[in-house]
This record gives sequence, C-alpha cells and structure tokens, in this order.
Amino acid sequence: MASIRPQSIPLRALRTLRTAPTATRPSCQLHISPLLPAVSCRTATIRKHSTSSVSPDELSHFSALASSWWDPMGPSRILHLMNPLRHEFIASCLAESPPPSTDSQSPNASSAANLHYMDIGCGGGIFAESLARTIPLDPSAPAPTATRAASMTAIDPSTTLIQIAREHARMDPTVNAHLRSGKFKYLNTTLEDVLASSSPSSDSTLSATTAHPQFDMVTLFEVIEHIDPTTTTPQAFLSNCLRALKPGGWLVGSTISRTFPSFLLNQVIAEAPWPIGVVPRGTHEWSKFVNPPELHAWAQEGLMRAADTGVTRGGPSALEGMRWKCMGTIYVPGLGWKMVPGSESWGNYFWAVKKGL
Amino acid sequence: MRPIPRAALRPYVCPSCRHGVGAGRRRFGTQTNQAPDIYDVVCVGGGPAGLGLLAALRASPITSKLKVALIESQDLNKARSWKMDSAQFSNRVSSLTPSSKAFLQKIGAWEHLDIQRVQDYQEMQVWDGETGSRISFDWSMETPAFEAMRTVATMTENSNLVRGLLGRITASGEENLTLFSNTTVAGIENGSDSPTNGPDLSAWPVLSIKPTGAGAEAQSSSRIAARLLVGADGINSPVRSFADITTQGWDYNRHGIVATLALADPETPPFPANMRTAYQRFLPALGGPIALLPLPNNHATLVWSTTPEHAAYLKSLPTPAFLAMVNAAFRLSGTDLKYMMGMAPPSSDPSPHEDELSWRLQHTPSLHTSPRVQAGTVASFPLRFRHAAQYISPRVALVGDAAHVIHPLAGQGLNLGLADVAALSQTIEYAVSHGMDIGDLLTLERYSSERYLTNAKIGGACDLLHKMYNIPGHGPVTWARSLGLDVIDKLPFVKSFLMKNAEGY
Repeated sequence: MASIRPQSIPLRALRTLRTAPTATRPSCQLHISPLLPAVSCRTATIRKHSTSSVSPDELSHFSALASSWWDPMGPSRILHLMNPLRHEFIASCLAESPPPSTDSQSPNASSAANLHYMDIGCGGGIFAESLARTIPLDPSAPAPTATRAASMTAIDPSTTLIQIAREHARMDPTVNAHLRSGKFKYLNTTLEDVLASSSPSSDSTLSATTAHPQFDMVTLFEVIEHIDPTTTTPQAFLSNCLRALKPGGWLVGSTISRTFPSFLLNQVIAEAPWPIGVVPRGTHEWSKFVNPPELHAWAQEGLMRAADTGVTRGGPSALEGMRWKCMGTIYVPGLGWKMVPGSESWGNYFWAVKKGL
Repeated sequence: MRPIPRAALRPYVCPSCRHGVGAGRRRFGTQTNQAPDIYDVVCVGGGPAGLGLLAALRASPITSKLKVALIESQDLNKARSWKMDSAQFSNRVSSLTPSSKAFLQKIGAWEHLDIQRVQDYQEMQVWDGETGSRISFDWSMETPAFEAMRTVATMTENSNLVRGLLGRITASGEENLTLFSNTTVAGIENGSDSPTNGPDLSAWPVLSIKPTGAGAEAQSSSRIAARLLVGADGINSPVRSFADITTQGWDYNRHGIVATLALADPETPPFPANMRTAYQRFLPALGGPIALLPLPNNHATLVWSTTPEHAAYLKSLPTPAFLAMVNAAFRLSGTDLKYMMGMAPPSSDPSPHEDELSWRLQHTPSLHTSPRVQAGTVASFPLRFRHAAQYISPRVALVGDAAHVIHPLAGQGLNLGLADVAALSQTIEYAVSHGMDIGDLLTLERYSSERYLTNAKIGGACDLLHKMYNIPGHGPVTWARSLGLDVIDKLPFVKSFLMKNAEGY
C-alpha cells in the first residue's frame, strides 16, 4: 500500500481539532483495512466530539465500509446511483425559489455560480465531490449547472472517511484545484464544532445559539436517520442545521420513512444477503427512520429555535416565508432510482426546507 | 482490466483482489517529467464515429465547454477539402437510416453535407437467387395514396459525411478544441501521482502522440491526459488493447466487392418520378448477396459479398467482363453463374463473358439496364464479425468499429457507430449536468447498457441472415427461408415492425 502523505489541514479544521490528541491522528489515517480503524478512530473521535450528534456505532459501521466507498460495484453502489437525483432535487428547489443573491449589483446574479454549500455527513464524499466538480474554475463564468455552486464545505466525524474522500478528490484535477484554492473543503469535524467555530463567543455551550449563518445551501443526505438518540434528538440536530443556513437558503436532505412498506423494502429486502440485498447489513435501523410529517414539524420547530438569540425567542414569525418540499424516490432494479411523487411513505424520499428571509 | 497502480485502485477494488491486479504495472514509451496537458475527452480516430462524437459534443450547450481533442493519423485537411466531379462518386458509400439522419440533423451536421451527392431511396427489393421468393420493403402500406413515399434509407459517400462533420466541428469555433491531424499515438500508459500534492493521475490514460509526415522528425512528441479516452480507432483499436478489452469474432472468409456504376436510362421512368429502389439478391451458390444501391444522377453503388477466390477473379476481369458478371449476378441462376465464374479471364475483345450473358439472357426472363463502371472504383475488403467483450473500462469508452464489426448485408455498420456516438454524447451530457465524472464507470455504464445488447442483436441478426443464405440447393433451410420471406411479405404488420426496427427507432 502506498504511504499516505500528511494532508495540509485547513486552519479552521485545526482549530476544531485542537482538543484531539495529535498522536492518534496518523494511526487512524494509515489503516484503510476494514476492521482496524473502527476501533482506533472511535476512541479518537469520541474524545474529540464529546457533546456531538455522532453515534459511535454508526461511526464504526461506516468506517468499516470506507475501503470500498468509491468502488462503483461495491456496497455503496446504491448511494452512487442515487447521487444524480440529489442534483435534480436541488435544482428543482432552486427553480422554485432561489436564495437571495448576495451580490445584487451583478445583473445575471440568478444564473451565476454564487451559492455556498455545506454538506453535513459527507462520508466518502459522493455528493460533496460531485457538487465540487460543478464549481466553475473562473468565478465570473455563468454557472455550468442549475445547482450554481460557488463553494462546498463538507464535514464528517469519521477521520477514515474524510481521508478517503480527500484522497479520491485528488484523482480529479478540477476537484483537486478547488481543494487547493479552498473553494472545496473537507473538514473532519461535527456540525456542533462548525457552529462553535463561527460563533463570536468562545464558550461552546452558548455559541451554538449565537452562531453566524454562513451557507446558502445545507445538504443532509441520508444522515438524519443515523444520528445518535442518546446524545441528541433529530429535532435539536435539525435546529443546528438551520442555524448554519442564511435567510432564504434551503436545507435539503433525504431520508427513509418509518412505515410498513419501508420496513419490507429497506430492512427485509435491501439488507438481505447477496444477490437480493443491495445495502450492507446493519446500515439502517428502522426505528430511527423519519416520516415526512415528523420532519415537517421538526423543521418548523427548528426554524423557530434557530431564530432564538441570547435575549429574544424566535416565535412563529420565524416561519414566515418558509417553504416545505417533499418527493418520494424508488429504486427499481435494472432501471435505477426514479422520482415518484406521492411515494414518500413507501421508503426513501427527498425533502427540503427553505428558511424565510 | 488494464494495470492500474495500486494507490489508484484502492478506492475501487477490495484489498484481497488488489494484490493481483496491481502487479503488472505497465511502463513503456518515454517517460518525461513534464506534466501532461489535461483534456476532458480525447478521441482517437477521425472517422465518421469519432468526428460524429466531437460534433455532437460541440453542438450541445452543456458539453460545448469541455476541452476536447481528436487524434487522426491521416491528413484532416485533405478530408476537409475533398472534392469530386458531380458525375463521379466515391466507392465508399454508406446507407444512413432515418434515425442516423435525424441525429446528424440534430447536431447540425446535415446542412454541412453536399445534398446534391446524397440519395434517398423509398423501396428495397430483396430476393433469393435460389428460389426466386422475394420481399419488397417500402412504406406503401402506411403511406396514404398521392403522398410522397417515406424514405427507407439515405445513401451518402463516407467522404461527404466526413467532410460535413468536419465542417460542423470547424463552425463550432476553436475554443477548447484541438485537432491533432497527421498524428499517431505512440503509446498509452497510466499517468502518475504528482509529487507536489497536485492531481493524482495514476488511473488516467496518458497518450504520447507523435506527428507524422513532412518535418515530423523536427517536432517532438507530446503527452496528453484524458479524463475520458474514446476509442473510435477501428477494428484493430489501440485504445482497446490499452484497456485490455478482449474481442470475440470470426472472419467470414468472404470479401465485399465495391464499385460505382453508371446506370442506363430506365426503359420505364420510375413512378412517382423521384422514387428510387435498392436491390439485393442473395446468391447462396456464390457465398453472399449482391446489392445495388442508388446514387444521384442515375448512378448506383455495388456491394457484392462473395468468396475471396471469386472476388479476386472478379477484380482481375476487364471492365466489360466485370459488367457482364454483375448483370448476370442479378439475373441468371446459380448454375449459370458458377459456370461463368469458372471461365478463363478473357484476352480478346469482345469479351466471351458478354457473349455468354447475351446467349444465356435469351433463356431468362428479361430485366433492363446494362451499366457502365466508373474507372478505378472496383475494390474489395474482407468481411468480419467482431464484438468487444465490453465497451467500457475506467476512463475508456469504445465506439464504432473498435467496439463491433458486423456483416454489411443490412448496411447497418455505420449506423450502429453513429448510434453509439449519439448515446455516448447523451451520457456525457447527463454526467456534466449532474456533477458526475465523465470518465467514471458509473457514468460510462449508462452508455454501455444502452448500446451493448442492441448492437449484439443487430450484429447477430446479420450473422444469422448470412448463414441462412449460404446454404445452397433446395434443402429444408432453403425451403424455410423462402417460406419465411414470402410470409413476411404478405403480412403487413410483421413487415412494418421489421422496417421500424431497421429504421433504428
């Protein structure tokens, strides 16, 4: 195996990692074999993110899949196949109601690549890298795709996966150029730490509520069903996601609903042994799945909490201008993923919340 | 699979398999430390398929910003300035199905063709030389009376098509486009990991290219890296060998004789006036069909598939004797033809073949025409069947003859190549608009799944027809194929189904 060069770590990442013992980092990076990193990285990350939404079991499960993350025929194939639909869903959100342009003096602001993205739980970077590829090298050029990305910040708590993601990104000169220019960043951190680092206050308990929103678009693909219920709630996690979002921005995600058809599809059939199953066993826990009405309610509550400041409470006025979007999607063997309106309760679906201005 | 350095394989291949795959690291050609120029699409081969891909990519607003290159060993300027007298036609002619024509219109290339040199035909007559059973393909069943008949296919010279595609590419401007004319590929190898934290190109194909021709020694070779390397480089594709893709197939032990013929004025003008017909007669006794396909100005192109011995004999004949054989092949029975094929090549004038034909025609139901051959157009080429084991490999895609070579009896070869190119350009368009890497297997599998089975089906059907019509005599196969032809001819819905298939829709 080729030796892995130490990556240049962006300053902000260093700041968030300052509590982590530096001695454990190289040992995490070197093991890409399926079993070892799960143990060694877990101790490191747990210590690092003591008050985070990250579940240690989930972390070890996905770190174990790391070596095959980018194998087009490997266990993550089904995720790779879904990826183009994520772009289409984001494009449909932007077509419906684009975020306000920051540089209104430019006449073609609605077609310029001026949206700043954050991908939470980026894993090996399937979505983050594909979006980074659409960032134009020349910022003044019109956006090449309807997603209009100007920058992408991708975060994941797994050291192994971030390492895999960074290494894969180097295999594409365009993406590598964005990594080096800083338009595309992989940070081995948690959402809580990102919010804390952007907060003017250094006290981490207060900082999350007073953070400056930074992003036009926040994406949360196949994440909300994996957060740790013992340290946080999906509700609190969503509130934090919405805190990172600028007014008028979209929080876009995908998850699976907790219904009988989805139990059959996602637990019984999808995780069945080869050749029937398409998802590695133990990937999903049915009880953590989320139904669209629950998500809608959490999003509303989250918007109000995100509007809280140190002294005032954000009441129902925070819901003005809010938009909610939901679209079911179904995997048809041999045909791939298809968007099917109304199939939200059958299993996988995309959802999006727009924060009011 | 081609050898890819282990570091690059890590994300793709499980640890236990990695050991064996990475072992034979390919290293040849001159290693230069200079970083290669990076292109999005590099197409090797400037035939109709390669140029068609480039024209399609340049025509779409989504893919027109891609940095593309084409490498062709011949002089593209010669192809661009190709000219021929309006009474003369090249002997390399292809039949374009309506879907191929629609693709060329969509990418804006059709208007760059010389339409005076292009001929539609509305009817196709096919008959069995052994039993005389026949089938006629036209759209008369589905066309209302007094309306112009729909086109079965369009004949065009390959040079006209290539010049038109080049014209379309030139019209798209020079930005992000490089045409390496008179250039050969000296070697293809995997790139290397940049030592200075630059991009890791160890899984990218890097081509060493070398100019040929005058002053070639003065210019040094250069290196270009391809996000997607497209092999449109024909039956012996170097790109295919680089990707370590095997190909299956066989030689038919048949040659195709081609020639451009000037026809005599027909005794009865066609009705409607602009209606043209293509003729194909299967000659099981001589090893394959003979076909006459219309060109403008009362010209036609001949394609005669026969054994290499017969092909050599026919090419050795003087023009009048050759013409006599062509006329005989469309009229006489298998026994008569075999006798004439055995005659000693004539030294005297008039040719004994002509005497023989005129004597034998007295005993045969008469047809019209006695054509003239355009000088220097009689040529032959071997007929083969090939199908690549797969069309794709990481950062490599094969199109056209590099992926498949089929029997020409249905005139589908070029059409399959153009359909490949249409599918690949659409795949690239989809990938670009969805942030996918256009060289990634997840992207390319869309192209492969669209084309592989279709091409196998059409290639297989042509192979089956060839084999069925190579059984001489009056045995059960002959009886069955003639019954089949007669039945299909009388069942309009079966026939229109077959024709819609042949159209490529």
